[in-house]
Amino acid sequence: MTVNPVQSNGGASGPYVRIDGVTKRFGDFEAVSHVSLDIAQGEIFCLLGGSGCGKTTLLRILAGFETPSAGSIFIDGVDVTAVPPYERPVNMMFQSYALFPHMTVAQNVAFGLRQDGVSKAAAAERVNEMLAMVQLEGYEGRKPHQLSGGQRQRVALARALVKRPKLLLLDEPLGALDKKLRERTQFELVKLQERLGVTFVIVTHDQEEAMTLASRIGVMRSGEILQVGSPTDIYEFPNSRYVADFIGSVNLFDGQLVVDEPDHCRIACAGLGVDIFVDHGVSAAPGAKVSVALRPEKIRLARERPEQRENVVMGSVSGIAYLGDSTRFLVLLEGGTQLQVTRPNFDRHDEHLEDNEVVWACWDAGSPIVVSR
Amino acid sequence: MKSRLSPFVLSMLIFGFAFLYLPIFSMIVYSFNASRMVTVWDSVHSPTLAWYLELFGNDEILEAAQLSFRIAAVSATGAVILATLAAFALVRYRRFRWRGLFGVLTTAPMVLPEVITGLSLLLLFVALEQWTGWPPGRGAATITIAHVTFCMAYAIVVIQARLATVDRSLEEAAMDLGARPWKVFMVITLPLILPAIASAWMLSFILSWDDIVITSFVSGPGSTTLPQLVFSKVRLGVSPDINALATILVGLVSVCVAVAGAVMMRTERRRLRDAQIATGAH
Repeated sequence: MTVNPVQSNGGASGPYVRIDGVTKRFGDFEAVSHVSLDIAQGEIFCLLGGSGCGKTTLLRILAGFETPSAGSIFIDGVDVTAVPPYERPVNMMFQSYALFPHMTVAQNVAFGLRQDGVSKAAAAERVNEMLAMVQLEGYEGRKPHQLSGGQRQRVALARALVKRPKLLLLDEPLGALDKKLRERTQFELVKLQERLGVTFVIVTHDQEEAMTLASRIGVMRSGEILQVGSPTDIYEFPNSRYVADFIGSVNLFDGQLVVDEPDHCRIACAGLGVDIFVDHGVSAAPGAKVSVALRPEKIRLARERPEQRENVVMGSVSGIAYLGDSTRFLVLLEGGTQLQVTRPNFDRHDEHLEDNEVVWACWDAGSPIVVSR
Repeated sequence: MKSRLSPFVLSMLIFGFAFLYLPIFSMIVYSFNASRMVTVWDSVHSPTLAWYLELFGNDEILEAAQLSFRIAAVSATGAVILATLAAFALVRYRRFRWRGLFGVLTTAPMVLPEVITGLSLLLLFVALEQWTGWPPGRGAATITIAHVTFCMAYAIVVIQARLATVDRSLEEAAMDLGARPWKVFMVITLPLILPAIASAWMLSFILSWDDIVITSFVSGPGSTTLPQLVFSKVRLGVSPDINALATILVGLVSVCVAVAGAVMMRTERRRLRDAQIATGAH
C-alpha cells in the first residue's frame, strides 16, 4: 500500500497550525473569544469542553465554514483566514458523518478526488486503497443507509482522508458509536494517524476519549481556552478549579493559605478539620483564598492511625460502590465534608471495609493541587 | 383482530363515496349515450363511441387541449425553477433582512382571490404594452406568465418543506471536499430535493391546466385554453361530446395517480428492504 506521509512545504520550524487571537461573535454572543493556539505537525490535538463552550465553532473556523470576527488562521505558514473551505488543504469528518445518501460508498469516497479532476480510473484505484485501509473492501456498491454505524464512521474517515489532507478535523468522531466499538476505534484511529502522519484536530466533550486519543488537550470553557497540555499535565497539574473538576473526579476544598515557603505550604481548610500540607510553595499572597484539588485515587484508607503526621483525617465510611476493578468509598469527615476515595482491587481477598466503620484517610504531601479560586 | 363494520358506518361510507363519485360516474356513463339529449338515455343505439370520434375530429377542441398542455408544461417548469431559487434563499440564508416578510410575500398569492390576481396582471400587461410595446396583446405568453406567478407560490411551499429536511452538513461536506457552491447545489442539493421538485412540477401543471379565472383575464383572441372552451360550450348548453372529453381527462388523471402511487410504493418497499439489510450487516 502506498500511503505517503504529508510533506510540509516550508515552515518546518514554526507551528503547523497557528490560531492567532481568533474571536467569533454571533450577534451579541461571543462563541470564541481571543483564542491563540499553536498546533505542531503530526500532533493529535483535542479540543475538550462541555456543550456550548465554542469548541465546534473553533473547528468550523479551521474548516472555513465560519469566518472569524477578529484574528487569523495560519496553516503551514499560509494565512488562510479568508480562504473558502473548498480551497483549504483541510478536510473534516462530520459528527453526523454527512455521507451523501444518494451515492454509493465508492462514489462518496471518490467525491473529493473527482472535484480535483482526478480521472475515473485513478480515483477508483485510490478509493480501493482507502477502503482497504478502513477494512471495507467489498462494500463499494452499498448505499450509506445499508451500513451499520461503525461502517459509516469508517466510510466518513476514508472520504475525509482520500485527498491526503495536511490537517484533518474530526467533530466528535466516535460520538455515535456504542461503548465497545468506541474503545476499539479509538486505538485504530491513533494507529492510522501515526502511519499517515496527518495532523488531527479533534473536538470532543468526552474526557476519556480526549485522554486516549490526544497528544495534547485544550480545555475550553465559554469561548476561552483554559489550559493546554498533555493528558498527564491536564490531569495531574490542572491550572484552575474548573479544569480540575472537569477532568476526572476530584475532591475540592476551599481554604486559606497560612504558610507559603519555597519548599512547602500549608492551607487551612475549615471543612476538613486539619491543614493541608503541600510539599512545594505556590508563591501567592499570604492569606490568599485558594482551592485544593485532591484526586480520589491518591487517598489511602486504613483502620489504624497511619504513622505520618501531616495530611491525616478521621471519618466514617458512608458509602461503598464496588466497580470491579476498583472500589469507590465515600468517607464522612468529622467536619461534615464528604471525601471521595478510590481504591484499586489488587487482591481478591482484600480486607473489606464496612459501612459506618471508622477509618483514617491520608495522602502524600505531593498529591494535593493548589489552584486559585 | 378484525372489527366488523357497523351498519351505520357502512352506510356512511357508501353515502360518502357516492357523494364524491356518482356525478363523475354518471358523466362517464352518459358519454357513451347515443342520444343528443344529454339527460335522455337512448337504450336502442347505446353504448356508442360516436362522441369520442367526434371529439377527435373537432379541431377547436384539439387545438385548445394542445395550447393548455403547452402552457401548463412551460409555466410548471418556470414556476419550479423560480420556486427552487426562492426556497433555497429562504431556507439556507436564514439571517438576511426582511426574511420573514419575503416568506409571507412569496406564498401570499395562494390566498389572494384569483379575480384580484387576474385583474392586476391584466392591468400590468396593458400598462407594459403601452410603455414598452411588450407583450404585444394578450395571448399564450401572458397566460404563461400569469400561471407562473400563482403556481410558484404552491411550488415554494412543497420545495421549501423538503429542503428544510436536507442536512446542512451534507452541503458543507461537499464544499469541504473541494466542490464550489454551484457544484454543491447541482450534485448534492438538487438530487436530494428532486422528489419535491417533481411533485411541485406536477402540482403546478395541474393548477395551470385547469385554471380559468386568471386565464380569462389575461387571454386574448386566438388563445383559448381547454377549460375556457369547455366553459363557453357549456354556457350554450351541454353537448354530449363534453362528457366524452371529461371522461378522457378523468381517465388520464387516474392513470397518472396510479403510476405515481405505484412508483412511490416501489421506492418505499426498496427502502424497507435496504433497512433490513442494514440491520443484518451489524
